[in-house]
Amino acid sequence: MCGISAVTGREDIVHTLFESIKNLEYRGYDSCGFGIVQDGTVEVRKNTGGVDEVNGKEHLTSMLGCTGIAHTRWATHGKVDKINAHPHQSGDGRFSIVHNGIINNYQDLKSELMEQGVTFLSETDTEVAAHLIGLAYSEFGDVRSALLAALKRLEGSYALLMVTPLEPDTIYAVKHGSPLVLGLAAGRNFVASDVNAFLPFTHEAAILEDGEFAVVQPDRWAIYKIDSQAPVARKPFRIEWDPETSRKGGYPHYMLKEIFDQPQTIRNALATPLPEIVALAESIRRAHTTYLMGVGTTHYVAQVAQYYFSQLAGRFLPAVSSDEFNDLAVIGADDLLISISQSGETFDTRRGVKFAQEQGARTASIVNVMGSSLTTMVDQVIMQGSGPEICVVSTKAALAQMIILLRTALELARIEKRLEPGVYNAHLKSLGALPAVVQQALNEQSGFVRNLATRTIHFQNWLFLGRSVYYPIALEAALKMKEVTYLHVEGIPAGFLKHGTLALVDEHMLSMFFVPPTSIGELHALTLTAIEEVKARGGPVAGIIFEGDAKAEHLLDHRIVLPQVDALVAPFMELVVAQLFSYFSALQLGRSIDKPRNLAKSVTVG
Amino acid sequence: MKAVILAAGPSERLHPFTETRSKPMIHVAGKPMLENMANALAAAGITEILIVVNHAQEILKNHFEHGHRFGLSIDYIYQEPLDGIGGALRRCERHLRAGPFFLVYGDILTSGDPFSQVLSRYTESGGAVAALSLPANSREFGNVYLNENMLITKFVEKPADPHLSNYVFAGIFLLSPNVFETLDKTGNDIEKTYQTLIEARALSGTLWDGGWIDISRPWHILEANRMLMQDWREARIHQSVKLEGNVQIEGAVHIEENVVIGSGTLLKGPCYIGSDSYIGNNVLIREFTALGPRSVVGYGTELKNCVLFGRSTLGRLSFIGDSVIGERVDLGTGVTTVNIHHDRHPIEMDTPDGRILTGMDKLGAFIGDDVVIGARNALGPGTRIKAKAVVPDLITLNSIQ
Repeated sequence: MCGISAVTGREDIVHTLFESIKNLEYRGYDSCGFGIVQDGTVEVRKNTGGVDEVNGKEHLTSMLGCTGIAHTRWATHGKVDKINAHPHQSGDGRFSIVHNGIINNYQDLKSELMEQGVTFLSETDTEVAAHLIGLAYSEFGDVRSALLAALKRLEGSYALLMVTPLEPDTIYAVKHGSPLVLGLAAGRNFVASDVNAFLPFTHEAAILEDGEFAVVQPDRWAIYKIDSQAPVARKPFRIEWDPETSRKGGYPHYMLKEIFDQPQTIRNALATPLPEIVALAESIRRAHTTYLMGVGTTHYVAQVAQYYFSQLAGRFLPAVSSDEFNDLAVIGADDLLISISQSGETFDTRRGVKFAQEQGARTASIVNVMGSSLTTMVDQVIMQGSGPEICVVSTKAALAQMIILLRTALELARIEKRLEPGVYNAHLKSLGALPAVVQQALNEQSGFVRNLATRTIHFQNWLFLGRSVYYPIALEAALKMKEVTYLHVEGIPAGFLKHGTLALVDEHMLSMFFVPPTSIGELHALTLTAIEEVKARGGPVAGIIFEGDAKAEHLLDHRIVLPQVDALVAPFMELVVAQLFSYFSALQLGRSIDKPRNLAKSVTVG
Repeated sequence: MKAVILAAGPSERLHPFTETRSKPMIHVAGKPMLENMANALAAAGITEILIVVNHAQEILKNHFEHGHRFGLSIDYIYQEPLDGIGGALRRCERHLRAGPFFLVYGDILTSGDPFSQVLSRYTESGGAVAALSLPANSREFGNVYLNENMLITKFVEKPADPHLSNYVFAGIFLLSPNVFETLDKTGNDIEKTYQTLIEARALSGTLWDGGWIDISRPWHILEANRMLMQDWREARIHQSVKLEGNVQIEGAVHIEENVVIGSGTLLKGPCYIGSDSYIGNNVLIREFTALGPRSVVGYGTELKNCVLFGRSTLGRLSFIGDSVIGERVDLGTGVTTVNIHHDRHPIEMDTPDGRILTGMDKLGAFIGDDVVIGARNALGPGTRIKAKAVVPDLITLNSIQ
């Protein structure tokens, strides 16, 4: 996701443009750029980093001009550098564009243009569009015709903003599958990815629909159809809602949005280039001991990954919580530390990495936020590409980290020939199917999960239980539940019950079991035994199970029944259901879901 | 921006109330349902309203007039014959050509403002938007499938598969005028029109998790009343209200102008007393009671979880619980609604679809507009009394000679 914004006015608009792009920073912040029309040219300044950081490097706000475009980027993959940052320009510099979305056929177009002798500066699909417009202009000699001719060649979903010194007070805006909206004020008009960009300046907005383009000047604006060029009558309307509403993109809370984002997050994690994964697997191979380190949710991610490395690759990777790492880990020059962090700024994790580096160890990191401290500290970085996670309670970022570590375990197993090619391929296949299966579960189970939350909301005390990899899944699910509901929820290994925990069980303590599919015979049987232990003490039992599990269905007082999936990905399905369950429970309790009390998104202090 | 509100249908399932009024004129928490939605529309800045009417249209028009009282500008469109939602939209078409508009079903009620959320979604998608909600009994509605970009990919009407339960259409849509071209192709069939939009990936969803209810059975009125009143946080008593000695008020009690309350009466909020009402001595008004304007409640009467539309008289020493009572109803002395079977037998009700289980633990009576019930009658759980009915006094002795 990226944010784009444009302003045209009768007076200098640079500070307005800066504020507008700053307000879109939540859509992504790994690089940023400005294109300002001045003195018969468009000056472009861009660099990597957040909006303020780029301003520090490039002095964006010291530019001058009455018309300009801006961009803030969140790259899911690929390099983040100055060259790839937007705006991009045509060869003659006459057309500058910023872009949000994807041009699917850009490789074909790029080769075609290179044959014609066009030189490309960046690796972006955006630059292709800029060159196409430039070439079409030399043919037609008219800006609008050039733009429309270029658009005919582009496939994909995108929103484009273009400025040119040929029409110095005009913004051209094209919408084709990605969001774009006009903001209208006296003597000053806006076009941006969403209304947050201009809400401080105006509440009057007009929508662009797919297949339309707008020509926007300080005192005038008009919308046309792209195919017929017919003008479109569009009545502006007044925005009465608060900016938060529009940032959530149609969801009532960021948490629900991020849970529903997960099919895409998984797809991104699966698209992390294989060589990066293989390189991490090779580092583990070379290391004497590899530690997995995270804190809070990422510690549970590490614990989940532990099972994959042990069970698939036959290698035990100790998972140590970042806050305990320096006191516990025995790490040296032959060893590797893999740290996991959404923000890349977590204080305890940075401290652990620093400690490991002082002992001479190699370090690697799985991080979501590009350019964060961890990415500059460690030897090897894997960007998980999950997009901004705004809810304090982590959902999609954690799931993506688990997928990337599972892929690493699979590669390690393949390299070390611990997996038959057939089994390896079958595992890849079930991972590939995961986004669709998660999407299906979200679409078919939400009602059941909500109803379960309604029926169990009176319980003040909970145990979340599982065995094997379902144990750290239970831990992570319990953490979600306590963070967002403020209820007392303990994640416990199901095997611990008779070694003490059973003393807690009575009719007021609800035990939630993470039940594996029946295909894992022994683990399934052991989990059912644990359910029976709780039942025998009069404790109510709930569980997440898979279709065809008649025994568990019979034992449980409350249940969510998921469609059958491959055993490898079954824990992820249960985690997604548990996230939804926490969400609906918190909703019933009227909690502050996106910002739970006493918690912060990125814990940058010790 | 304009909004079309559908209010024409006769709705037999909500008899006795819809015998004499249209569904949106059923009262909830002291106001007609439609007034709640109209206020939410006005708050979201949507002030040009078209209300499609037919059945019992006069009551609705008399209440809303041209909308100025509500900060709205209201026009009425008459739908005859009642040829569905597509037909209703057709009759509004010439008013809707200018730009995107809301389509709002008249039988839904929300707490809060779903309209801003839909508009916000629209600024992102630039295409048609449907509000989606997650009711407890979602299998009675259509199951909606979304992709990760919030586009609706599939819609299964009343799924038979017991493994489906997801968000459903909440009865609030934002459509652009090109929906009329789709209606041309589908013969004004709205279901097919939604399906066509979905197949073209041209309908996106926004998830509404505030209160939402589709009122299709009489007991839903009580659920809707509870849904709205449970959000009340403060007592609000008009300065003209006259409380005689020893009136006790607890919780979020709303009392409108010129109400007189006799001594010894106890009000436990949330409850609502409409303007110009008279509450006698030693009356007990308990949680989730909404008394419409000009109600008269006699000495020693108890009210609990019930909705009275207004202008009714309740005789002394009565009990009304878990019940809905229309306008201008006259209840004699000592009338009792029995709200539970002595053997705890589940409460059933006769409906146009046959006798069905209500699923309510306690349920009283549903009494239509202009009913007269004589003294001493006891009404069994789930009783329905048609509008204008007269039930004689239940008197065992007239005189002894």
